[in-house]
Amino acid sequence: MPHLDPDRLVDLALFDSSADPEESVHLDECTGCQAEISALQQVSEIGKETEEVRDLPAPPESVWAGIAAATGVTGQPAVPADDVVRPLRPSANGRRRRRPPRWLPPFMLATAAAVLAVVGTLTVVQLTTGRPPAAEVTARATLNPLTASSARGDAEVLGGDRLRVGASGLPLTTGYYEVWLLNPDDTTKMQSLGSLPANAEAELPIPPGTDLRTYRLVDVSVEPHDGNSAHSGDSLLRGTLTN
Amino acid sequence: MNPDHELAENFRGGDEHALRMAYDRYGGAVLHLALRTLGNRADAEDVTQATFVAAWQGRETFDPDRGGMLGWLLGIARRKAVDRLRSAAREARVAETIRALPEPAATVETPERVLDRLVVADELARLPAEQRRTLELAFYDDLTHPQISAVTGLPLGTVKSHIRRGMANLRQRWEVDGAASGSRPAGRSRTL
Repeated sequence: MPHLDPDRLVDLALFDSSADPEESVHLDECTGCQAEISALQQVSEIGKETEEVRDLPAPPESVWAGIAAATGVTGQPAVPADDVVRPLRPSANGRRRRRPPRWLPPFMLATAAAVLAVVGTLTVVQLTTGRPPAAEVTARATLNPLTASSARGDAEVLGGDRLRVGASGLPLTTGYYEVWLLNPDDTTKMQSLGSLPANAEAELPIPPGTDLRTYRLVDVSVEPHDGNSAHSGDSLLRGTLTN
Repeated sequence: MNPDHELAENFRGGDEHALRMAYDRYGGAVLHLALRTLGNRADAEDVTQATFVAAWQGRETFDPDRGGMLGWLLGIARRKAVDRLRSAAREARVAETIRALPEPAATVETPERVLDRLVVADELARLPAEQRRTLELAFYDDLTHPQISAVTGLPLGTVKSHIRRGMANLRQRWEVDGAASGSRPAGRSRTL
């Protein structure tokens, strides 16, 4: 028989299901499939142990004091999470597209991205729990790269008026990433939702009155800092919203 | 592949803010590795401090093409923790107090295993939300494909594909940044 299907390999490694006789015959003689299962089993074992290291406490500040003394570096603690979270909340008028302020130095953007990466999960929890009623997912999309790349992502419409977007593996850029809703029937028609931090999640307000049946194609582009608000034409990820 | 390009580049370039950012992001993981390896908080904090000092002083030796920053930092921490265990054992032999030492097996683990766990946990946290959620249900709650489909409301095929891709992502990161990354030849699994 041919090599085992990738889903079946995961079944055998992660879910402890047992191989049927035909599969056993193949596995006995195929070192490739054996190696795949063995690697997936190890990853699965390690994965099951990760629960205990999800929210590790930071070292006491005295450790940083020692590092600072030994290196001569005097860094301040990262920007409080609140300062990073605030720009992600829907603005009062909810209409304007949001962009990072042009004057923000790259380091600040990096700080924001770093803090978001660390507190990403926590932030989303805070954002969603702080806004009653609990956000209901009304549509979702899996975002796939347009060219061969490891970039990937997903998007969810929350409560009909916000789009939560998560992406990872985005290519390095000196510009920034921007999230759009496109009309797939006429891709010159689009609506910008705002910017997306590198390898983090963002919750962006969807302008009121936006018809998500028409503007149903989620697009993540890379934009240069050129002062031009139009789509760069350089799309990284796309996916269609479905209910 | 490497989710920390920007931080790593700034760190290598000597940006002092990058040292603090790396500490804020990975200090907890480094301390955890040291604590689990040494079983002693004061020693673990010393190793954490020494790890970041050594990383900063040797920042030009960090090669982002060979792996991520977390894996690199944990590698330094592991070597420092092991050195400390060895020197503690030497001192103990000199003082002939080996029998007075607590039995290590009960509380400490191999640093390699802890390192692998931290790297995989970091990658899991970076996965797209649905991939992460389905894997958490499989790992932590021991749910099967159909059960995960029922809990999440996702179609069975979607659950399978999330889990397959999620496992592939964890595996790739583990092979690049895990404890055995230096000794494991680059296999075909690296190209997904």
